[in-house]
Amino acid sequence: MRGLRLRDAGVELRIGVALLLAIIILGLVVPAFAPEDPRRWNTVPRNLAPGGDYLLGTTSQGQDVFWLLALSVRNSLWVGFTVGVIATLFGAVVGMAAGYVGGLPDRVLTLLTDSFIVIPALPILILFSALLEGRASLLLVGCVLAVFNWPRPARQTRALVLSLREREFMRTAWFAGSNTLQIIRREIAPYLTGWFIANFVYTVLIAIATETGLAVIGLSNLQDTTLGGMIYWALRHQAILAERWYWIGPPTLVIIVLSVALFVVSSGLSKLSARRRGL
Amino acid sequence: MKYRYRVIAAAFAIGAILGCGPFLSHLGAMGTAPEEVTTEAGTPRSETLVIELGGGRVANPTQTNPYMPGTPLTHGYHQLNISHLWDVDTVTGEQFPAVAAEPAEPLGDDHRQWRIHLRQGLHWSDGVEFTADDVEFTISMLLETPALPYSGVLSGIVEEVSIVDRYTVDITTVNPEPRIQKKLGAFIWGSNFRLLPKHVWEGEDPATFNDFPPVGLGPYVLVDHDPQGYWFLWQRREDWERSDVGMISGEPGPEYILYQYFGTDEKRILSGASNEIDIFLDLSPDSFELLKQRNPNVRAWYDHFPYANMDDPAQRGIYFVTVTPPYDSPQVRWALTLATNIDQVALSAYDGMLRVSPIHLPPVAALMDAYHMPLESWMKEFTLADGYQPYDPGYAVRMGQEFRDRGMTELPTSEGELKEIFGVGWWRYDPQKAEQLLEEEGFSRDSNGQWRLPGGERWQMNIVAPAGFEPQAERLAFAVAEEWRRFGVDATVVQKEGAGFAADYFSGAFGVGSYWSMSLGLGPDVYDVMEPWHKRFVVPVGEHAAANQVRFANDEISRLLDEMSVLTSDDPRVIELTREMLKEFVREMPYIPMFGTSKFVPVNTYYWDGFPTADNHYEGPWWWWSNFKYTLPNLVRER
Amino acid sequence: MRFVAFLLTKLLVYVLIIVIGVTVVFLVPRLLPSGPVEALLARIMAGGGFMEPAQVESMRVSLTQTFGLEGTLWEQYRGFIERVLLAGDFGPSLAMFPTSVNVLIRQALPWTLGLLLTATIIAWILGNVIGVIAGYRKDKAFSKVLELIAVAVYPIPYYILALILIILLAYLWPVFPMSVHVRSAPLSLRFLATVVHNSFLPALSIIIVGVGWWVISMKALSSSVCEEDFVQFARLRRVSDGTIMTRYVARNAILPQITALALMIGGVFNGALITEIIFDYPGLGSLTYMAVMQSDYNLLMGTVTLSIVAVATATLVIDLLYPFFDPRIRYR
Repeated sequence: MRGLRLRDAGVELRIGVALLLAIIILGLVVPAFAPEDPRRWNTVPRNLAPGGDYLLGTTSQGQDVFWLLALSVRNSLWVGFTVGVIATLFGAVVGMAAGYVGGLPDRVLTLLTDSFIVIPALPILILFSALLEGRASLLLVGCVLAVFNWPRPARQTRALVLSLREREFMRTAWFAGSNTLQIIRREIAPYLTGWFIANFVYTVLIAIATETGLAVIGLSNLQDTTLGGMIYWALRHQAILAERWYWIGPPTLVIIVLSVALFVVSSGLSKLSARRRGL
Repeated sequence: MKYRYRVIAAAFAIGAILGCGPFLSHLGAMGTAPEEVTTEAGTPRSETLVIELGGGRVANPTQTNPYMPGTPLTHGYHQLNISHLWDVDTVTGEQFPAVAAEPAEPLGDDHRQWRIHLRQGLHWSDGVEFTADDVEFTISMLLETPALPYSGVLSGIVEEVSIVDRYTVDITTVNPEPRIQKKLGAFIWGSNFRLLPKHVWEGEDPATFNDFPPVGLGPYVLVDHDPQGYWFLWQRREDWERSDVGMISGEPGPEYILYQYFGTDEKRILSGASNEIDIFLDLSPDSFELLKQRNPNVRAWYDHFPYANMDDPAQRGIYFVTVTPPYDSPQVRWALTLATNIDQVALSAYDGMLRVSPIHLPPVAALMDAYHMPLESWMKEFTLADGYQPYDPGYAVRMGQEFRDRGMTELPTSEGELKEIFGVGWWRYDPQKAEQLLEEEGFSRDSNGQWRLPGGERWQMNIVAPAGFEPQAERLAFAVAEEWRRFGVDATVVQKEGAGFAADYFSGAFGVGSYWSMSLGLGPDVYDVMEPWHKRFVVPVGEHAAANQVRFANDEISRLLDEMSVLTSDDPRVIELTREMLKEFVREMPYIPMFGTSKFVPVNTYYWDGFPTADNHYEGPWWWWSNFKYTLPNLVRER
Repeated sequence: MRFVAFLLTKLLVYVLIIVIGVTVVFLVPRLLPSGPVEALLARIMAGGGFMEPAQVESMRVSLTQTFGLEGTLWEQYRGFIERVLLAGDFGPSLAMFPTSVNVLIRQALPWTLGLLLTATIIAWILGNVIGVIAGYRKDKAFSKVLELIAVAVYPIPYYILALILIILLAYLWPVFPMSVHVRSAPLSLRFLATVVHNSFLPALSIIIVGVGWWVISMKALSSSVCEEDFVQFARLRRVSDGTIMTRYVARNAILPQITALALMIGGVFNGALITEIIFDYPGLGSLTYMAVMQSDYNLLMGTVTLSIVAVATATLVIDLLYPFFDPRIRYR
C-alpha cells in the first residue's frame, strides 16, 4: 500500500479516520489525565445521572463513567489490536504458504490449521480463563484469543490462493521465471490486501466481542477494566432494567462506533489500494 | 435493473419473518384456556405456589435416588418429599422430632447406644405405613453398599442397627456420639441421611436404582415435570394427614407447588414483576430494588429498610491461611482489622443492609442472645497487648442515623432495637494504630505510601472471591480490597468459579479469601460447626484439608473443643466453653469476622400470603431447606 | 487412482485432526487446579449444607473412586480413547452421576440442531444476498446504508442485544415467551408451531448477529471480484446487471463463503453457548456450560468431541466437494 495518501480519500474514509482518531485519543491520551485511578470504587457519589461535575454520570460502584470509559477503551483497543495483528499476520502467512507451496508443507500446515479450527473456542476459552484466574494480563488475554483466531484467515487465504494459482496471470508469472517468494509477494499478496484488511477488522471485532462474551459470564480480566468488563459490571448491577443508560450505554456505543469506524476506514483503504493497482 | 426486485424480495422476506411472530404466538397459545391464568404446568395459577428453582435446569429429571452423587434435590424433592428423623426450628436454632417421635434416648452413659422412637401412623406417599423396618433397611442397605458415597460417611457413625418393635429401633455407634441427632437429622439446610421406603427399594440394586417417581413421607408428590428439566409440579397428597407435615403442623395451603427455573436475573425480575413467581431465591440488592419498584406486592423479610433477612447461618468475613506469611501473625491480622472502615464496607458492598459481627459466630438471633450481647461488655474492656482498646460500639447507631437521614423514617431509634437490626458493634477504624502495629512487625511504607513486607518486597495481596455466585461474599471482597488499597496494600480480588474457589480453599492456596464455611452457626450449641477449628485437622498447605482450611492450630481452642465434645447439646457448660473460645478467637483474629449473611429472599403476596416475615417470625425464609415444608400450612390463598 | 490416493490422504488427515483436537481438549481441563470432586463438594458448600470433616474426607475418597479419576493421566487417557473411539460411550456425567453423557447429548441434540441449523442458514442466505448487492453496487446510497446497518449491528454485545429483544418482545410487547419451555409431544402441527414460537427469539438474535458478518465478508469478496477483468468485460459487453451479479460476481465470490458456512454448520454441534444460557434453551451449549462450571470432564469431553468430529467432517466434505464448485482446482 505504498503511496496511499489521505487527500485521495473520499468523504467516508475521512469520517472514518476522524471517528477512529477520536476513539484512539479517548483511549490513548485521555486516561493519562484522570484525576485518580478510575477503577477505584467509591471515589465519587454513586448513581449520578450525567451532567454537573460528572460528564457521563457515575456508576453504582462510585466510579466516574467518563474516566472509566476512557480507560476501558484503551484496554479494549489493546486487546483487539493485539489479536488482530497476531492472528491476521500469522494466519495469512500460513495460508499463503500452504496454498501456494503445496506438497508436504501444505499438508503439515493444513493439518495444524484444521486441528485448531475443529476445537470449539468458547469452552476452551472459559477453561483458560479459569486457569488464568482472572489475573491474566491483557496481553496474555490477547494471545489466548489469537490462538483461536488465526486458523480462519489461514484457511480462507489458502482457499483463495488455491483458486488464484490456477489463473492465467499466475502461470504467466511462473513461466516468466519468478520464484515462489516473488510470486507470493508480487502477485498474490496485493491481490489479497483488501481481503486481509476486512479480515483484520473482523478479527479485531471478534476479539472485542469474544472478550465481552467472556466478561459477561464473569470470566475475563475484571481488574483492568475493558469495554466488556464495564458492561459486565453494569449488567451485574442491572443497569438496563434500572434504566441507567449512562452507565451501560457509553461502552456499548463506543464498541459500535469503533467497529463502524474501523470498517469504513478499511473499506476506504481497500478502495484506494484497488485504485493504485489500476482497477 | 433486476436487482431492485431482489432487494424488495429480501425486504419482504425479513418483513415476513418478523411479521409472522404474532401469528406464531397465536398458534403457540392455542393449547391454553384463555379465561383463566394457568401456570407453565397447566395448573390454575391461583391454586399453585410458584417457587424459583435454583441452580439452573435439571438435565436428569428422572433420577431421584437420593444417594447417587448427581441426583438433583433442589427441585422440591428435598423441600417437599424427603423427611428427616429430626428437623430444625430456625427461630430457636433447636431440633424438633419430625419422623422420630421424640429426642433420641440414650441407653447407658457412653453415648454409644441410642434408642429412636418413631412417629406412629405416618404413611409413605404410596399408602404403605412407615415402620422401624424402613429405618433398619435404609441403614443396613447403606452400610452394605460402599458404591454409594454416603456409605463411607455412615459407616463412620453407625456400627449396627436393630429393630426393637414396629416403631422403635436401637443404634450402636462406632464412637461416642453425644450429638447423634445432628448426625442423623437436619440442623442446617438438611441432612444427608435420608429415609427410604423398604417396600420400594427391596430387591433393587441401590447403586443403580433410579427411584422415580420418588415415594416420600412429606406432604407432596411429584405429579408432572418438564422433560427438559425447567419445571417440576408437586401436588398435595390426598392423605396429607398421614404425612409428617400433616401430623406435625396441619394441612398445607397450596394444592400445587411448582418449582420453575426463570433464568438470568433480568428475566427473574421481569417474571416477578408480572406475578409469575411467588417465592424467590436470593436476589442482589439492586435486583430486589427493581423488582419492588415494578411489583408492590413483593416484600422481603422487613417491609422497610434494611429489607433483607440477616439470620442466615453463615457469617461473612475475610479468611487467612494462618500459616502463610505475612498472615501468620495475629498482629498483622489485627492491623488489617483496624485498617477497615466497616461502615464504608457495609455501604459499598450491600448498601448498608448488613448486620455486623465482631466475633467469630454469625449474628443470627439465637446466637446474638447467647454470645454477641453477653460478650459486649468483655469486648469493651478487651485490650491488645499494648493496652489499646479496639472495640467500637457505635455501628448500629451510626447506621440508624445515616439511613434515617436518607428518609428511612420507619427505622427504630433506640440503641437496643437498632442493635437487633444492625448488630452489636465492631472494631475501630484506626489506620494510625494499624500503621503502628505493622511497623512494629517490620513493615514499612515506600515513597508512594505503599506497604512493603518486612523482607522489603511490595505487599501484594490476592483476595480470592466467588465469580458470579454468592453475591455477598463477592462484593465483600471487592469492598474490603478497596479499603486496604486505600491503606496502602496492593490488594486485588481474584474471582474463581465454583470448583476453583473450593479447590483453593481445601488446599490452602488462597492466602486471603472471602469464605464462610468455617463460620457457620444457628443454635447455641455450636460444637458441630466449630469442630473443624480443632488443630488435629491441620494439614500442610498443598494437601487437601477436609476441615480447618485456614490451618489454625491453637491449643486453647482445641482444648475447649475436646471438653465440649463429650457434652450433650443441652448442657449449660457448652455455652460457657463457647464464650471462652470466642475470646481466644478475638485475641488471635484467625479470620476477620464482618457480617452475617443478608439474603433478599422475597415473596410475592399477590396469590399467597402468610409467609414468615420479620413481623410474623414463626420460621426463617429458608425456602430451600428441608424444614420449609412445615411452614406450608400457614400459607393462605389470596385469590 | 489419483482420486483414491487423494481420498485416502484426506481421510488420514481427518482422523489425525480429530485425535489432535480431542487430545488437546482432554488435557486442558486437567490442567485446572480443581476437579469434579471439588466442584461437587463446592456445590454442597454453597447450598448451605454442612458436612463434618470426616464426612468431607470420606466423600472425597469415594467420589474419586466412583468417578474413575484414579490413576495417572496416561491411564485415564487410554481408558477414555478406548471407551469413546471404540465403543462410542462417553461414560457417566460426573455432575449428574450416574446419568449417561450419551443420554444427555441425545436429549439436547435435536434442540440445538433445529435452532442453529435454521438460524445459521437463514443468516447466511440473507447476509450473502445483501452482501452481493452491497458489493456489486457499492457506490449506491442504499448499499452503503445496508452495509452500515450490518456493521453497526454486528458489534453490539450479544448479551445486550438478546436482553433488549427479551425486554421488547417478551415483556413490553409479550408476543414471545421469555424462556423456552416446550413439552415433548407427538409430532403435530401444533407441536411444531409451539417449538417455532418458543425458538423464535433465540433464532432472531442469532440471525441478527450472524447476518452482519456475512454481509461484511460477502461485500468485501464480491467487490473484489467486481474489479476483475472478466466482470469489466461483461459490463462492456452490456450483459445485464442481474446476470453479472448472479452469474459472474456471486458465483465467484461465494466460494470462501461456502467454506465458512460448512465450518459454521460443523460448529452448530458446539451449541450456541451464550444464547442457550440467556434463553434457557435446552441444547448442547447449555450442557457444555454446565460441564465447564461443574468440571464435569466426561460431559465436556462428550459435547466437545461431538463438535470436533462435526467440524472435522464438514472440513472433509468441503475439501472433497471443492472441485465441483470451482473446476479450476484439481484433486491433488
